[in-house]
Amino acid sequence: MRAFAYERPTRLDDAIALLASGEAEARPLAGGTDLIIRLRDGTIRPQTVVDIKGLAELDGDIRDDGEYLRIGARTVMTDIMGDERIWHDYQALAEGAAVVGSAQIRNRATLAGNICNASPAADTAPALLVYGAVVAVAGPAGTRRIPIDDFFVSSGVTTLAAGELVTSIELPRSPIRPGAVHVRRTRRRGHDLASVTLACAVLADGTTRLSYGSLGPRPVLVVDETGVLADPAAPDGAKMRRFEELFVGASPSARSMRASPEYRLAMLQVLGIRAVSTAIARLADGKGRA
Amino acid sequence: MTGSVGTSPARVGGIGRVTGQQAYVADLDLEDVLHVKLVTVDAARGRIGEIDARAALDVPGVRLVMTAADLPHPIPRFGPQRRDRPVLAVGETKYHGEPVAAVAAETSDAAEEAARLVRVACEELPALHTLAASLADRAPLVQDPSLRPDDPHAGTNVLSEHRYGWGDLDGAMREADVVIDGTYTFPMVTQFAIEPHAFMAAPDGDGIAIWSAIQHPYWLQRVIADLVGLPLAKVRVIAPDPGGAFGGKQHAKYEPLLAFMALKMGRPVRLVLTLEETFQAVRRGAAQVRVRSGFRSDGTLVFREIDADYLIGAYADIADRTVAKGSYTSGGPYRCPATRIVARSVLSHTVPSTAFRGFGNPQQIWAVESSMDEAALQLGIDPLALRLKNLAGPGEVFLPDDRPADGDWAQTVNRAAELIGWGTPVPPGRGRGLAVGLKSGPTTGLSYSTVRLLADGSVVVNAGTSDMGQGARTIFAQIAAQELGAPVEWVRVVMGDTAVVPYDQQTSASRSSVLMGNSVLLACQDIQAKIRAMAARLESVEEGDIEVSRGEVRIGDRVLPIRDILVRGLGRLGGEVIGIGEARKEAEPGHPLGGTAAFYEFNCTAVEVEVDRDTGDIVVARYVTVSDVGKALNPTQVRGQDEGAAIMGLGHTLMEQYIYDVTGRLRNLGAIDYRIPTSMDLPLQMESDIVENDDGPGPYGAKGMSEGALLPVAPAVAAAVRDAVGVVIRDLPLTPERVWRALQEAQVDAP
Repeated sequence: MRAFAYERPTRLDDAIALLASGEAEARPLAGGTDLIIRLRDGTIRPQTVVDIKGLAELDGDIRDDGEYLRIGARTVMTDIMGDERIWHDYQALAEGAAVVGSAQIRNRATLAGNICNASPAADTAPALLVYGAVVAVAGPAGTRRIPIDDFFVSSGVTTLAAGELVTSIELPRSPIRPGAVHVRRTRRRGHDLASVTLACAVLADGTTRLSYGSLGPRPVLVVDETGVLADPAAPDGAKMRRFEELFVGASPSARSMRASPEYRLAMLQVLGIRAVSTAIARLADGKGRA
Repeated sequence: MTGSVGTSPARVGGIGRVTGQQAYVADLDLEDVLHVKLVTVDAARGRIGEIDARAALDVPGVRLVMTAADLPHPIPRFGPQRRDRPVLAVGETKYHGEPVAAVAAETSDAAEEAARLVRVACEELPALHTLAASLADRAPLVQDPSLRPDDPHAGTNVLSEHRYGWGDLDGAMREADVVIDGTYTFPMVTQFAIEPHAFMAAPDGDGIAIWSAIQHPYWLQRVIADLVGLPLAKVRVIAPDPGGAFGGKQHAKYEPLLAFMALKMGRPVRLVLTLEETFQAVRRGAAQVRVRSGFRSDGTLVFREIDADYLIGAYADIADRTVAKGSYTSGGPYRCPATRIVARSVLSHTVPSTAFRGFGNPQQIWAVESSMDEAALQLGIDPLALRLKNLAGPGEVFLPDDRPADGDWAQTVNRAAELIGWGTPVPPGRGRGLAVGLKSGPTTGLSYSTVRLLADGSVVVNAGTSDMGQGARTIFAQIAAQELGAPVEWVRVVMGDTAVVPYDQQTSASRSSVLMGNSVLLACQDIQAKIRAMAARLESVEEGDIEVSRGEVRIGDRVLPIRDILVRGLGRLGGEVIGIGEARKEAEPGHPLGGTAAFYEFNCTAVEVEVDRDTGDIVVARYVTVSDVGKALNPTQVRGQDEGAAIMGLGHTLMEQYIYDVTGRLRNLGAIDYRIPTSMDLPLQMESDIVENDDGPGPYGAKGMSEGALLPVAPAVAAAVRDAVGVVIRDLPLTPERVWRALQEAQVDAP
């Protein structure tokens, strides 16, 4: 690993200044589960690493203010999986967080880091899209709030400007919980990167929100308002036809080693059928956990 | 006595191994050491031009950029079968990852940084990474023909061809009612030892010391002595217990390079490979195997014809021996009147393949046992019954001029069938399969040991075996404890230092319990003879009236612990009694393999799987593995080896494979895109059992074991998949996508 300067500011403004001044040569460090790997393999070679774990303004708390459930930027996957409110109201997110890496990784990896890394296969991204999360950001030009669907651009690229840091991720409080689920395909049952990842929420009004990842440069949100997907009586064939319309934008890379495009697209349909069925059952059940 | 043979005392060194206390090579610190980083080029096959080290040498702390120009000319080459591998690539690289230079620096960070800055002019040349490409007309030659003068294959990429056979094949073909013909492929996979491969070298007085996690310290000693021109006594190889080896640590890799660097600098040097570099250092040979099997309609096997091409790497390493040994027995443990086997080692611009648990056998067992399953289907005979019908009986000659069947193999097969519930209804959605595996043990061997019975009755065993996790230390301690009457905790087993322990040929072919085990047993018997002489002197009786065995001295009706005689016999000065053991298996020059099998490993594996028809996922619901080991010296270790081998086999069966791109670069370098089974990928239920008839050549009737249970994993699982969903798959690994594709095709083909 090439030597770099290590800064551990305590004030958000100082961190922003460090990151903004160094441009691409400064990198923020939270959990480090993506950063350290790339420092070691030399794919990134920053001059400065800015550890943001000491910032007074950033926390690892999950707070309910009635309008949003706010997940602090330092919240790790283990805490998300362990939060009863998330299991109850945002089950797909809890399930997505629970399959990130291994237990050791989840003890370090933050939700904010997962979305900033912007992997098309990020396990938490589809759930955040389905739930309509908002990303709160602070930067040289002040603070702003970015709807999650406007946050992802392409693999490794977000709409964050130089020096901007995520301060929290906020989930809207909804009076009626959807039936929701996160499912994915991997090459083995042990921890692995997803070759298809999908979150699904079936709402009581018949709307189905689906978000898939690993099938293109960024995770994608699609919404079915026809009611076909949410209809427990609709035959699988009808749902498959609806999926074909909804998933038309899926464009898996032919270069990937993890699965062929043909297989990924076929599995998106299989997961879609299974996810919708589970979500419908969970909605009917009225319980967070199936 | 605690820990006697046949019981399962705790693993010697086990606590240290699992708590991080054991010092592996990478944990050792040498004063004044320089850290080495290999310099490679971004190509599989590249013509090497000028190497510009100026920028690298400017990095603070860098002391040396070693290139081929710093080595003797012609460049020194080494290899266990052929001296074909240069210490550094010369002229052109032969595979992605082959080093062209090496940096030595005061810190590993500086070495790494400098290695990036070495500018190597390199013209990329077309590279071969498939059998078809290597065997094509006018394919570029991987190996310079001048390296193998007088070799008729020198103008091709065939390194060698092995032909075995017996009987009247043409006649037998006419007798067959049913012929099964299939071609099967086996991927390139890597050993994936959890301990990184690590090496150190240092000037040592007027000689040299080498540290390596190597399975054959004495073989390495000879290689280094030859290369640097020192007598054996001046080359000290220190081989701390490896953290897994699986064949990948049998033979020299970068030790020669480090020896030259240490001698050039007059300082110790160390190199710890990354996992990615390990992928580019060791792998198993891929294979394409065509099997034609002929049967009478009653299931009697009448002929077998096997053509196997192994895709080996750019240098021979021990790969051609894996091809020879994997082919010689590949007809399986069956009586077959006519057999023809042709196997070729095919060179390519890929990582040199080497020994890997199973040693060339799993590739052809995958093909032949799958062929047996397909035959059963076509003949309408139960796959278990078909195997039992043709299985060689105890003592039956099934390979002309070789060791007859040395076990009651039907007992093993029947036990596996019983445990899986063969013949009982299969739960809905599941399928069952079984397969057998046979492997020839070592064909030659030589293991010396010394055993020291110290004045208080405690024992030191000196044995040159490498304990890489298979538990050899425990086995030798148990043998010494039993024979000399010491508790197993009173035995120290010393290994891994050629300046201390006597010569051992190698730790391979599951030989150590048999060959070194016999050697330790003989050394203990040597001590027992000396104790007998002591007892005769002390008790004034004839030696012939004294019996010493199992830790006891019997004089008439009296039974004394060995320790009583020892303490009295040594007297006031104390001291010790030293025993010497030597176990050898001589070569047989007329034999196609240079020697008959010391023993056979025999295993039967039976599985029950569930297949998800929508996704192609296979869940191994139940798994049974049964091995004939002659005598289980330590039953817990036997089960541990068998279950570990089974899980390792599930890797190449279900998920593991190297993926090369069209240019010959290895794409899935490292753990992220080369997946091995985790604890979550294990069978939902797993059961192992042991067949013991005390009929092996080792101590107390033991046979070698630890590879057998890997041999039939793939064909057993594939047979179960076929049983579950009706598709025959002839290529590994059985990834979900591959199974899904087979199911899709079957749907299209269905009327």
